[in-house]
Amino acid sequence: VTLPRLAALLPRTARSRTAAAWAVATLAVAALTAPAQGIGRDEGVYLVAAESYAAFPGAVVRAPTQALALADRHFAANHEHPPLAKEVYGVTHALLADALRLTSHLEGFRFGAFLFAALLSSVLAAWGWDLAGRAGALLAPALFWAVPRHFYHAHPAALDLPVTALWAATVFAYARSLRAPEGRPRVRAALLAGALFGAAVSTKHNAWFLPPLLLAHWVASSALALRRATWAERLQRVPLAFPAMALLGPLVLLAAWPWLWRDPVARFAEYARFHLHHENYSWLYLGRVLREPPFPVAYPFVVTALTVPAAVLLAMTGGLVHALARAASFHVHPPANEERAGEGGEARDAASASDEVLLLLNALFPIALIAWPSVPRFGGVKHWLPAMPFLALLGARALVAAAHTLWPARAGWLTAALAAFALAPAAWSVAHVHPYGTAAYNELAGGAPGAATLGMQRQFWGDDAVGVLDELNAHAIPGARVWWQETARSAVAAWQRDGRVRADLRWAEGPEEADLSIWQYHQEFRDKEYRTWTAFAERPRPGERARLPRPVAGVYLDEVPLVQVYARAGAWR
Amino acid sequence: VNAVRAVRERLARLGALLLAAGVAGLGLYGTRFYSALPERLPSPLDWRAAAALLARDGRPGDAVALAPWWAERAREALPASLPVLAFSRFAGEELVGIRRVWLVALPAAPGFRRDAEEDLVERASAVEGPLRLGGLEVTRVDLRAPAVPIAFLPDRLRSADVKVGGEPCVAVAAGGFRCPGGAAVAREVREVDLLPRPCVFGTTSADPSRPISIAFPGVRLGSSLRGHAGVVGEAALEGDGPLHVEVSIDGRDAAGVELVPGDTAWRPFTTDTSSQAGRTATVTFTVSDAGSEPRPFCLDACALP
Repeated sequence: VTLPRLAALLPRTARSRTAAAWAVATLAVAALTAPAQGIGRDEGVYLVAAESYAAFPGAVVRAPTQALALADRHFAANHEHPPLAKEVYGVTHALLADALRLTSHLEGFRFGAFLFAALLSSVLAAWGWDLAGRAGALLAPALFWAVPRHFYHAHPAALDLPVTALWAATVFAYARSLRAPEGRPRVRAALLAGALFGAAVSTKHNAWFLPPLLLAHWVASSALALRRATWAERLQRVPLAFPAMALLGPLVLLAAWPWLWRDPVARFAEYARFHLHHENYSWLYLGRVLREPPFPVAYPFVVTALTVPAAVLLAMTGGLVHALARAASFHVHPPANEERAGEGGEARDAASASDEVLLLLNALFPIALIAWPSVPRFGGVKHWLPAMPFLALLGARALVAAAHTLWPARAGWLTAALAAFALAPAAWSVAHVHPYGTAAYNELAGGAPGAATLGMQRQFWGDDAVGVLDELNAHAIPGARVWWQETARSAVAAWQRDGRVRADLRWAEGPEEADLSIWQYHQEFRDKEYRTWTAFAERPRPGERARLPRPVAGVYLDEVPLVQVYARAGAWR
Repeated sequence: VNAVRAVRERLARLGALLLAAGVAGLGLYGTRFYSALPERLPSPLDWRAAAALLARDGRPGDAVALAPWWAERAREALPASLPVLAFSRFAGEELVGIRRVWLVALPAAPGFRRDAEEDLVERASAVEGPLRLGGLEVTRVDLRAPAVPIAFLPDRLRSADVKVGGEPCVAVAAGGFRCPGGAAVAREVREVDLLPRPCVFGTTSADPSRPISIAFPGVRLGSSLRGHAGVVGEAALEGDGPLHVEVSIDGRDAAGVELVPGDTAWRPFTTDTSSQAGRTATVTFTVSDAGSEPRPFCLDACALP
């Protein structure tokens, strides 16, 4: 009796079941692999903010007349970024860690991030199915997650993967709203696109680029029809998703972000100003420290080429070319004449030029945006991460289409073989690099060693210190003062709360007041290591030079140092 | 229409073939790369073998050079008595006080180049090795003309006379000087042009009328006085005015360096002192800053025989 009931709860179509299976698998893998991963600077801040935000509803229930003051207090933390993802982290933490005590505090927060990763997997699987059938549904999420830096971003309670998931979901909903039958289904689809857009802008500011991008798509794909139409006809043809996004986007943002409530216009302007005048951080690129614009236009393209596993990169590039060719062929031959792309489908083979333009725009625009010479360069691929699901979709479809073209009778087997060629080394690199995803470079770069020789940024944001925690706990003298450098104080506090770092270890602001120094390789911050040498050098005997200290422990990725620990004499047992 | 369709189909097949072949080829290459990578790199045992070799054969005046430069596990693994030089090239480096260099190389590491080795061999009077220790290769290079200074001025900072705007600075117990207005001068190792520079470190007063002067009395001169100046770390990329370093010997101008904002270099200077060789003199650095914010500077000089 129970089994049929459970079966009834399962999604009804194979497409939905595949998407659900991908979501569950992503959630499980992310949860299993997260504890090994460190806490980056931004995540440390978001953990504090998430807990503060999550306490807001309870505070309002206790003192409803002070809602505005409470909103200001609880949402003051990290108010330069909108709150939605952090609110989700706060809720999952309150539920899983505080109430049910099922997870550590960190894992409780991060469970919210796993949910966003699961959402992205399910969108990729569903859209992959639409583009290239079952093989597309299996391949698209795999191509995305088999990139070590993408896999890394599945774990932290940060904003980049959530906005990537919501960006993809919004575009997917928009695309479906264009195809939905008129009437209620179309309204529902448009409302969903609007709500998802609201969630995206409530997560990170780069989602504000979605409306102009989608508008560009609509204008580009409807240019011919619009040219001959009257203004009234043009207005009638405006996709319902646009008014839905214009209405629901700001509404969802306002509802989700109590910090805006006291003075929405002024505070939104403050938030926008912060991002329009974002400071530049030093960043190493091909042996140069980038600090001030103009920055190299090639940067995001080069970094993508050196970090996405080579075979996956080729599949994605092939997918771009394939989509361009399809868009051009649809332009010449209307959709009625198109060839089949996937395995035996009908509707899914009927992707129009409009769909190709949509996929291409989303695959290229986020990268082109960061290529703009005045846009700050830091943080590796995460700044153009919203492009990567679209490249994964295009890559998956291209592999399926190649197999169908080359050997129609054995297309399934050939697709599986191509998938194995593309994914095996990529999966290997994911496993090899984890948990040091920000240090991942592909085989074209020569891995971490080749990238170090090329003078590429070795890592960022301080999470690789996680690799020395066990040794630190084992060897640091009681009450040792530790200069953590790139690791944020809030990150250390989070580790101490979970018992990952000894509670007696104290925070030091610099090497002069520290017993231990955790040097994290950033060539642009190299002075921090040399300051440590000066501060920790033993007083020389008369007539001798000071002997510089040597590291007592370290984290190395393929011999490339990521972290080294220095100790004052007597501070390391 | 049929001809166009045929061309399109042929192009589609060609594209599919190229993509499939490329993915298969890169997939095999990637698998081979990751499976072979551990064999191309040194094991902990290899590092211990190198450490034992250097502990046995190293002597004062020796240093370890790394190729590639980033192989800085050497700092943790090799004997602390040998300084480690993590420079990408050695052609322009003076290697002050070093007579022999042990080049520790990872010859099979991805991206490995022999540049550092070639630079050192060009300066060698004798080369011994390479000795292969698993994934490591150790070569001893005896320098043909080692720069062994008569005096390295940063090491003599304790005996210096330091002033800011003519007001004397006070020597502190930990070494170095505290100056009026909060400035400090000390013997430190700091980063200039991404490399460690043992130097006299200080912070400018950002007031051209209050330059910092650091006078080293009793410096025995040789054939030349050679040194460098630079702005430390990220501060080199900042600033709104040039920083000037003037060098004088017994009050006479001997050399000067100008460091403009954005100049990250470790700027060299040299002055011929052969006419004064053998006598002692007071060498004075005067640092003034035309910028509006204090900037950290690093300078060194040595008297060469």
